[in-house]
Amino acid sequence: MAKHPVSLKVNGDEYDLLIEPRKTLLAVLRDTIGLTGTKEGCSTGDCGACTVIVDGKAVTSCMVLGVTVSEKEITTIEGLASDGELHPLQQAFIDTGGYQCGFCTPGFIMASKALLDENPERSEEEFRYELGGNICRCTGYTKILEAVLKAAEEVRTSA
Amino acid sequence: MKGFEFFEPTTLAEASQLFAQEHAQLLAGGTDLVIGMKALTETPQSVISLQKIPGLDGITTEGDSISIGAMTKVREVELSSDIQNHHTALAEGASEIGSVQIRNLATIGGNIAHASPAADTVAGLLVADAQVDIASADGERSVAIDELFTGPGQTVLAPGEIITRFRLPSPASGSHYIKHKIREVMDLAFIGVAAAVNLDNGTITDARIGLAAVAPTPIRATEAENLLRGNELTAELLQQAGEAAAAVASPISDLRCSAEHRKEMVDVLTRRTLQEAVARA
Amino acid sequence: MSEYTVVGQKVARVDAVEKVTGAAQYGADVHPPGMLYGKIVRSKHAHANIRSIDTSEAEKLPGVRAIVTQDDVPSGRRVFATDKVLYLGEPLAAVAATDPDVAEEAAELVKIEYEVLPVVQDVMEAIQPSAPRLHGDATKDGPNRRGISTQIRRLSRDKENDHSDEISRLEAALEEYPDEVYYNISAESHSEAGDVEKGFAESDIVVEDTYVIPRVHQTYMEPHVSVASADSSGKITVWASTQGPFAIRSGIAGTLGIPLTQINVIGTTMGGGFGGRFGVIITHIPAVLLSQKTGRPVRVQMTREEEFIDGRPAPGCVIKIKTGATNEGHILAREALAFWDSGSVSGASIGSTIRVRGVYKIPNLKVDAYGVHTNKSGTAAYRAPGAPQAIFAGESQLDEIAERIGMDPVKFRLMNMREEGDLVPAGAEEPKVGYKETLEAVADAAGWWDREAEENQGWGVAVGDWTNGCGPGGVYVSVHEDGSVRIFHGSMDITGTDTMISQIIAEILTVPYGNVTIRRGDTDSAPYSTGSGGSVVTFTMGNTAKLAAEDAHQRILELASERLNMNVDNLELKEGAVHVVSADPPKSISLGELGAYSLSTTGGPIVGKGSFARQPSTPALAAQIAKVEVDPGTGRTRVLKLIASQDVGYAINPMAVEGQIEGGTVQGYAWAMMEEMQYGENGNVNPGFVDYRVPTSADLPTVESVIVEVPAPNGPYGAKGVGEPPITPTLATMANAVKDAIGVRVTELPIKPEKVVQALKSNGH
Repeated sequence: MAKHPVSLKVNGDEYDLLIEPRKTLLAVLRDTIGLTGTKEGCSTGDCGACTVIVDGKAVTSCMVLGVTVSEKEITTIEGLASDGELHPLQQAFIDTGGYQCGFCTPGFIMASKALLDENPERSEEEFRYELGGNICRCTGYTKILEAVLKAAEEVRTSA
Repeated sequence: MKGFEFFEPTTLAEASQLFAQEHAQLLAGGTDLVIGMKALTETPQSVISLQKIPGLDGITTEGDSISIGAMTKVREVELSSDIQNHHTALAEGASEIGSVQIRNLATIGGNIAHASPAADTVAGLLVADAQVDIASADGERSVAIDELFTGPGQTVLAPGEIITRFRLPSPASGSHYIKHKIREVMDLAFIGVAAAVNLDNGTITDARIGLAAVAPTPIRATEAENLLRGNELTAELLQQAGEAAAAVASPISDLRCSAEHRKEMVDVLTRRTLQEAVARA
Repeated sequence: MSEYTVVGQKVARVDAVEKVTGAAQYGADVHPPGMLYGKIVRSKHAHANIRSIDTSEAEKLPGVRAIVTQDDVPSGRRVFATDKVLYLGEPLAAVAATDPDVAEEAAELVKIEYEVLPVVQDVMEAIQPSAPRLHGDATKDGPNRRGISTQIRRLSRDKENDHSDEISRLEAALEEYPDEVYYNISAESHSEAGDVEKGFAESDIVVEDTYVIPRVHQTYMEPHVSVASADSSGKITVWASTQGPFAIRSGIAGTLGIPLTQINVIGTTMGGGFGGRFGVIITHIPAVLLSQKTGRPVRVQMTREEEFIDGRPAPGCVIKIKTGATNEGHILAREALAFWDSGSVSGASIGSTIRVRGVYKIPNLKVDAYGVHTNKSGTAAYRAPGAPQAIFAGESQLDEIAERIGMDPVKFRLMNMREEGDLVPAGAEEPKVGYKETLEAVADAAGWWDREAEENQGWGVAVGDWTNGCGPGGVYVSVHEDGSVRIFHGSMDITGTDTMISQIIAEILTVPYGNVTIRRGDTDSAPYSTGSGGSVVTFTMGNTAKLAAEDAHQRILELASERLNMNVDNLELKEGAVHVVSADPPKSISLGELGAYSLSTTGGPIVGKGSFARQPSTPALAAQIAKVEVDPGTGRTRVLKLIASQDVGYAINPMAVEGQIEGGTVQGYAWAMMEEMQYGENGNVNPGFVDYRVPTSADLPTVESVIVEVPAPNGPYGAKGVGEPPITPTLATMANAVKDAIGVRVTELPIKPEKVVQALKSNGH
């Protein structure tokens, strides 16, 4: 099967790749580019561990074919901290104990970031529903919600 | 996943031609197809993306009617204030699909073309009396949403035919969708019920009830609708409508629940959606 | 206020930054140069004879580098099935290829010829004579037959007297229990204290029910994965996402028949375990065999679907339970008969059936438990293995009794709870325990005594007990010439244990937490460490860390004594320096100066060593209260409040402890309300997150955790293991709340909407 040339823009870096159409964005990020911060938890879009942001929208990268995202802006967990400064979400997850094993954490942070970028004025209830696509097995979500609300507060006050 | 050839046509005509070949599949948002290919339940030899064809997405309003491009993301349908205000059941159905991440990928056209009897947008489209525009190399045609489906995963679409648009005529004055599920989010519908009503001074002038996951295809509960038309919504009528809706349901038993439970829930949820739709009207 | 400065504080975890930036390296993130991708070939039938395995087509696929089968296993230990498969998804072979998709295609090309056999999935069917057999025709006696057989054996041994009449009578009595000849039994366990028949006879009220608990998956978010690399000398390196690298080392050595020194296991950051990541499991041996055959590193990574068909989940079980009590609320007797679904191999936590005794004074107790073979994958530990199931039965039935005698469920429990010195039924005397304090704390926090409920709302309470294990561990502590402290050990971090170790060592060496760093070694370098599970890590490694720090502390004082020319008794380590007690003017020497000085001494660098294996542990209680609202029309239940208290002995890091309580409670909630591995005629039918429902943030309120501290005499700073207790009571907490809301008890988990609707109907609604 013919491979396709793809130009990926990931975290501001450009990658010109030749990839098989059957490779998902997740596989391209992890296996081809070597950005392993994005995790594979179910490979069916049901756990959110592979969440990345494509053109401003959070998506489950295991459901996206790599050949369909050429020229789009992709942000992964590795692209979140800037100049050694953690993103407010990253800091909030540390401060509240919003992670345990950490496997779902990159996906949770990316899903939360897209929501905060879109509108940080969300209630706890709204965050609970809109983050429902991210499964965490360790925390029971209490401290994750605490982290997201803390970061939202910070984003609101610094805006 | 098996290997396949990948095509990104930029015109409908080209897409239709490619799609008319054997073992070809359309890629809209990918949320069903990619998962199907991973599970090896879908093994197309060619995959034709609709993502590069201009004009297939977006929601437009003309007077009373609303048109939704087939490639419109489910998330956009969910958040559209026009849909929320005029076709609430459809917006509510859209909000019930998967996660935000999935709704950012999934398209309404894909949700319908996949022809799952449990699709969350279908009941809302049924009660909106949606018309489905279809294009192929041979031209265009339009079918009513309740004539689109022929069985689980089956539609009247001929090889090469592609859904381009859903046209919703003037809206009912109130509508509502309820999904029976276990988890608040990320569940597939055990059943789904949508109701839309028009009221004139308390009297129901028109009523539409759409049922999902209760039969091989999504269906309208026409008996129940007929009972409602021309009457005021009393407790007794509500009960009759619920029973009439349950009577047309022919659900299956599966790992999610029994056929009996599904039938009972059609009754319960038909009454609830009607009550809410009337309250909103 | 705490007398400590680092211990007892909510410090950020040592792995904080790597976890939130995606830098942490989990198993599947390991990618040595030249790595191949492995895929396991799995049975497509739940029970079948294997006629043939033909790998020739698969071998021809471009990119395929090796295929291994049971023929490649030197010890003959069952890694792959050969002549018979016992469950859907059982491994038959494994393929290595240059690309994961190619490996998957090759696995599909391996041709297996099956002769399909009848399948049994239900434990109550599996024990019947008519059931298909998994491992032969051997039978075991049920409780009554067993009792009679024991008497016959006893009488037969007495050669002095003639018991033939009595023996004939007993043999006839055996015939009265034809249903008690059980087939497909994998194991049995029996305990008894007092005389239950007498206890029931003296009871005013006797309640008998059957509870059914489903098989659930631990659902760690990172599926099983191993990367193996065999070099030309035969040395094997394995990167494993595991709770215990040392057990993998010995498991591989045994299976391959090679010495421990030929194997190095590197534990990678672990994406959750909950008991499901112990020992050699599924992916390790295939990865090693494929690497040996190809001479290249090989990664074998399971998909989520493979996790569900071939993981090692928690066993489901059926528990028949009977309890007798007086009208005043004294429990007099309890009897339980449990059938645990151990799947195709033996195992399943049948010994945990004893936990039906709870934390109550029950003078008469009888527990009989059987493991039963079915056509499913084997089982493994899941957070307090066996306890949630047994405690669900015990605590549900307690509420039934409380209701019938008209007593408040909290008061009823408090009245019967054991205290220090009370005898544990079929056990020893209780040490100092905090059962009552913990239950009272949750009742107070929940506002139990003046609780309110609207229509269809209800409150439920339950408690669950667990005692942490312990095991061997070793820790080294080095103090460097700049005063910084480095810890080296071999224990896998589970959710904050490296942080706990660092806190203890910082506390004892009186240095800021930030001056301490910790490094986990591999099995080649680190001292032996027990697996991280069974709530052992805080207890074991905390004690080990204390010993290592105290050893270093001693060496520091000796060095200071040398340097300052003062007797050790006049020296004190505080705030990172050794001070001369009551010196005027003050006189001290910093840890950095001592570290530098140590390098030129006869004794050499400051290295503290701690080794530990065993001390008696102390039981811990988790007590929980839930408020729910049930929709009687649809049967859906919404949890409105979830409050969890736990006696943790002492919270070394309260933030981590709260996280354990919250997470464990939600796992229990999930088991009660939605999780269930379902089986059809050919094995598991819900192998994914669509129909195996794990709760999301939208399903839950904030979990309120309440920390109770009744110190454990042998725990570090009084700490008890905290990981396992919080899952133990939640199943019953939820069922009791649903019962309170709608007046109907659901005895079969999970409490799905359909079951609630059915229960309401059978109750006349």
